[in-house]
This record gives sequence, structure tokens and C-alpha cells, in this order.
Amino acid sequence: MLEVRNVTKVFDDRKVVNDVTFDVKPGEIFALLGQNGAGKTTLIRMITDITRPDSGTITLEGQPVTSPSRPRIAYLPEERGLYRKVSVLEALAYYGELKDLSRKEARRQAVELLEEVELAGWAKKHVHELSKGMQQKVQMCTALIGDPKLLVLDEPFSGLDPVNVRLLEDILKKRRETGVTVLLSTHQINKVEQLCDRCLMIHRGHMVLYGTVREIRRQYAEHAVYVSASTPLPSDLEGVIRMERADDYSKLVLQRSAEAGTVLKSLIARGVAVDSFQPAQPPLEDIFRHVADTGSGLDQGRSGKLGDDAIAALSGGVR
Amino acid sequence: MKFSMSRALTIARREYVTTIKRKAFLFTVIAMPAYFAFVMTFSVSLGSKAAKRAMTETNTIALVDSTGLLAETPPQMTVEIVDEGNPFDTSKKAPVTNKFAAEVRRFPDESSAKAALQKNEVQQVLVLPASYMNDGGARRYTKNGGIIGSSGRERALLRWLTGALLAGHLDSSLAERAVRPGKGLVNYQLDDKSQFVMQNDMRELLTFMVPLALAMLLATSIVTGGQYLLQGVAEEKESRILESLLCTVSTDDLMVGKLIGLGGAGLTLVATWGLVSSYFGAPMLAVADFNMPFTTLVIAAVYFLLGYTFYASIMTGIGAVTNNMREAQQFAWMFTFANFIPFITMTATINDPNSGLAVGLSMFPMTAATEMMLRLGTGAVVPAWQLAASMGILAASAWIMLMISSRVFRIGLLMYGKTPNLPEILKWVTSKG
Repeated sequence: MLEVRNVTKVFDDRKVVNDVTFDVKPGEIFALLGQNGAGKTTLIRMITDITRPDSGTITLEGQPVTSPSRPRIAYLPEERGLYRKVSVLEALAYYGELKDLSRKEARRQAVELLEEVELAGWAKKHVHELSKGMQQKVQMCTALIGDPKLLVLDEPFSGLDPVNVRLLEDILKKRRETGVTVLLSTHQINKVEQLCDRCLMIHRGHMVLYGTVREIRRQYAEHAVYVSASTPLPSDLEGVIRMERADDYSKLVLQRSAEAGTVLKSLIARGVAVDSFQPAQPPLEDIFRHVADTGSGLDQGRSGKLGDDAIAALSGGVR
Repeated sequence: MKFSMSRALTIARREYVTTIKRKAFLFTVIAMPAYFAFVMTFSVSLGSKAAKRAMTETNTIALVDSTGLLAETPPQMTVEIVDEGNPFDTSKKAPVTNKFAAEVRRFPDESSAKAALQKNEVQQVLVLPASYMNDGGARRYTKNGGIIGSSGRERALLRWLTGALLAGHLDSSLAERAVRPGKGLVNYQLDDKSQFVMQNDMRELLTFMVPLALAMLLATSIVTGGQYLLQGVAEEKESRILESLLCTVSTDDLMVGKLIGLGGAGLTLVATWGLVSSYFGAPMLAVADFNMPFTTLVIAAVYFLLGYTFYASIMTGIGAVTNNMREAQQFAWMFTFANFIPFITMTATINDPNSGLAVGLSMFPMTAATEMMLRLGTGAVVPAWQLAASMGILAASAWIMLMISSRVFRIGLLMYGKTPNLPEILKWVTSKG
């Protein structure tokens, strides 16, 4: 679907995006992660053809994003606004017309979208009469109108209450089912874990993480297991270097030669009532924080594997 | 993204409709002419009433006559002055004759007459010294009573003095002619067709007034359209609407759409004023047998197009590089001011429409449109090469400014926070992407 190849953008002799290469597959929800100032917005602006790369190529279904015949891209920027002194329906229909819909079709789609985001009753109200959350949903509709093939959303959940976050998630999932590809930039890492198929993290313009959430967590996994049990754990289990107790679970750090399965068997054999047992894979948020703090990742080692120091640092952050 | 005329027209339509629906726009359309009409009517009517009152209310004149020439003059004086009225009044009313009536009270010396004036016993003092016949050195004393009333009283007094001096020396009809020798004067002028036609003062006045009004409307429409553009770009930038639009439309779509839509709004405003003035001014134009030369209208239209593109491009650039409307206005005012410079130097243009200053201002892009309309308004023959050069320079400047503004617009729209300085803007203009 989307292919970004060796893209670099320089501002004032500083490489804001540095040799970034990745693909987004059709119908995928793909997350773009990075700290503030990492280069995400610049990368998004190049993907949406608002600015041009200094080198590298960006194609959509094989056509350069600069081509007038490429599939339609819609963009919801982080810093966004709406025309305030017009009705919600008019504001939306205007975006539709700009996407080459006829006036009639633009209004039809606008009505449909307002129904989808549960704002049908507000269609004739002026935008400035809407609450911030409602405006946020209308803004989402401005991106959705015109049936785009690629949806680029920058912090789409900010300003929404949990009910509307769920509504937006459902909308995105529904679009994915119809083959729409979603490129999502967010700081809400838990949403990435819940929603996204794959992600890319950039740090100071460089790619530092790239892959499925599962792969990345596995890459950063520690040789340890989390166990929660209804009975006390024995302190002298074979293959376990040390045990760290938390409120409702314990973390068992294993010897390099020990296997998780053997440890589970030992626990059951010694009569422990095991409620849950899982490999110690750090949450994506901790990996994000670690990579952001240290700058380690693909460009440093390309392997993505962490050294012992990094593992130790990460384990401290596991809750 | 490539330029699309259909998207530009969609943008133009929205900009136009949104602008003309604004309360501020409707207020300007209606309130401005209403305000001027009120002020003009009120001030003309007040002034005319004041002049009439000053002339017609009973006056007492203190006369100190050391020449003895007026010894036989009766103590009552009456002078008829014809009120020619408002030159723009096209109704066929007969001229009103005002009678200036006064009592003449003689004083033996100047000091007692002046004392009577100070005590409000008389309204003016006329002193004719013994040497008056030799050197004409008369003196007139009045209280400070406003220019309008004072000039009317003086005019009446001098006319009475002429009559009084001649009385007894000439027969009455000759004296009357001497007092008002041009009472029935009719002027004839050689016209373009070598025919002598009766001089029409109103047409003479309109020949200049109409192009002056046209120059005023032209400058106003250029500035108004540009101001709408400045406001539109600055507001959209401030409210962060633009970034989501730029994925769908190109900066060129946006800029051209805004130029067309808001220029149209400015033109609508001025056209409405023009139509309203023509409607109310039509009877006057008909009476004066005044016809606006078609070429003047064509020239005005071309200057609007070029002047607006030039000025609006500058406003677009300013809107794009600044962060809010207040900041934008700080940069915009000097360009707005430049547009009206020809009205400041208007007297010089009227005196000599082909002077170096007038020619220079009609070549300078910021003042060209207004200055050229003023020059044409004076009736002067502007050489064709000057007209062509002025339009050519303005067209080239408008094109260059449009290109510069398009680059600045493209980069500036997405820059927030710091307003760039001139070297930075120049760098944007010369950068490749």
C-alpha cells in the first residue's frame, strides 16, 4: 500500500528525518511512534504530500504520492481546527467537495458520517456551539469524508472521553475491514497495543523500532516469567536466579540455560496453585521509554536485541 | 499536488459566500453610504441654513464715514442676493432670492462705533477714512461669527457700498448693472465637435468628480479585497484549519481560490456602493448631460484586476508569515497606506496631471492604479505609452508578487511561533522546495 524508501528531510542543516524506510500493508492499522520533535509530523507531511522529501521516495499503491492519480489520502493533523461560523453539515460537505465529490454526494456522505459518530442531531448547529469532544468527532469526519484509501491520523484520541475513544476505535476497525489503511501517530501507547498491527518508532529522525507489537515485545523480552499463584511460591526453584515479589504477582528471573516450561512444571510438581504464568515481555510503553532515553534500536544495532544493561534497565520499569 | 481549477472555484465560492454573509460585510455595505449621505446632507443643510440666517436676520451696521460720500444714503439698506443653492440639486426649483436687510447707524468716530460693536448694539462696523477715495483703505470690524455667516454679510455689505457710492451719480439701472455686471452672464465653450455649447458648470464638476469617485472606489475595492484576504489567511492559520486542508488541496488551489473569492467580495461591496451612487446620482448626470467614457471604465477594470492581484498577493504573504491578525495588521498598514498616497498628492496632480510626480506615481506599482485614474479624471491627455508602461509594470509586479507570495504561502502556512525575518523569507523564496 504505502512504501517509504530512504526518505530524508533536512531543515537548517539538521536531518529531521534520516533515511527512513518502511511499508504499510493494505488494511493495516500502523502506528508511528516517537517523542515530541522526533520527526513524526515531518514524515507525515511528506506522506500526505504537504512537503517534499530531500531524498528518497514515497509511493502509494505504486504511484508517487505527488501523482494526481494516486489513491486518496486523508489527514487529521494534531493541530487542527474547523470553520467555526458555519453549520456542522456545511463544514463537512465543504471538505467533501474539496475531495472532488459533487455537492449532493458531499452532503449525503456528511449526513451518513454524522450519524456514524452520533452527531446527526447537531448537523444544523454552528461548529462553535459544539463541545470540544464533539468538534473532535466532526474533525474526524472531515478526514473520513470522500472514502480515502489511506487515513493518516495524528493523535486522534486526544480530547475524547472513554466512550468516544471506544467509538473512534470501532470506526477505525470498521474502516480496516473495508480495506482502508490507517497510519496512526499517537502517544497513547496502550492504544497502539490494542489497535495496531505494526508500528514504527523514530527517534531524532532515525528509525529505532519497526515490526509487529508482538515482535517488538519479544525482541525486548527478558529471560524471566511473571507468575501469580494462590499459594506461596517456593524460594529454591531450580533454574531461577532470583524472585521479585509485587502485590499480585512475582517475577522469576531465570538462568540462561533454564526454560520457562521446565520452571512451570516444577511449580506444579511442588503443589503451587498457579493462576497465571507468562513470559516477561515488557509493555510497549516501557520499551518506548527505554528507546527514547537511550536512543538504542534499529539504527544502533539493527538487531533490536538489548544487552544485559538494557534488560536490567527495562526490568526495573516493569510493573 | 497539482493545481485544480475546480477545487480553486470551490474554495472561491465558500470564501465569497462566507464573506458576504458576514454581519460586518452587510453593515459596511449599508452603513458606509448611509453614514456619508447623512453627514453630507446634515452638514450642507446646516451650513446653508447658517448662511441664510446670517444674511437675512436684521443687522445694524455702524458707519463711520469721514469722506462724506454717503451722507445722502438712507438709514435702511436692502440687498438682494440670489441663492444658487446646492450644485448637486437637480430639481428644477427657481433660485431663491435672499434679502439682506440692515439698518445703517452713523457714528462720529471709530472708537464709539467699536464700543457699540463690543456692547452688541451693532453687528459690524464699516470705517471709510478721509483717504478712502485715494487709496480705498476701508476698515471693517465684526465679532467672530463663523466663516459662513461672515462672508455672506461681507458680500452683502460690499454690494450695498457699491450701490451707495454710485447713487446719485448714475441712473438707477446703470447703477444696478454696475453692482451686478454678470447677473445674466452665459458662457459658451468650443466643444470636441467645434461647436459652441453653453458651459455646464455641473458637467465640468462631474467630469472630475466621477473619475475621482472611481479612483476612490478602485483604491477601496483593492484594499478591501486585500484586507479580507489578510484576515482570512491569518484567521485560518491561527485556527489551524490549513494543515488538514493542505492534504486535500494544493497551496495554489487555496491561494487562487481565496484571491478570486475575496476579490469578488471586495468588488461586490464597491459595486453595490457604485450602483447605489449611480442610482441617486443618475438625475444629476442626466441634467449635466454627463456620460462616463467607456474607455475609462475599461481602464478602471484592468487596473482593478492588476492592482488587486498585486496588493492581495502581498496581503496573502503577510497573512502566511504572521501568527495572528494583530501581527498581520502591523505589517499590512504600510502597504494599505501606499495605495492612498495619490489622494494626498491629489492637488499637485490636479494642477499638473503630467508632472514628474504624477507620472512617477502612476508608474510605481503600489500607487499606479489610483494615480492613473486621478490623472485621467482631470481630463488630461495621458500619453498612450505611459498608460501601457504603467499597466505593464503593474502586471509584471503583480505576477512577480504572486509567485513570491505563493512560495511564502506554501512554507509560511505550516510555520507557527516565530515570525520569520526578511532574510529568512528571502531564503524561502529562493529555496527549492
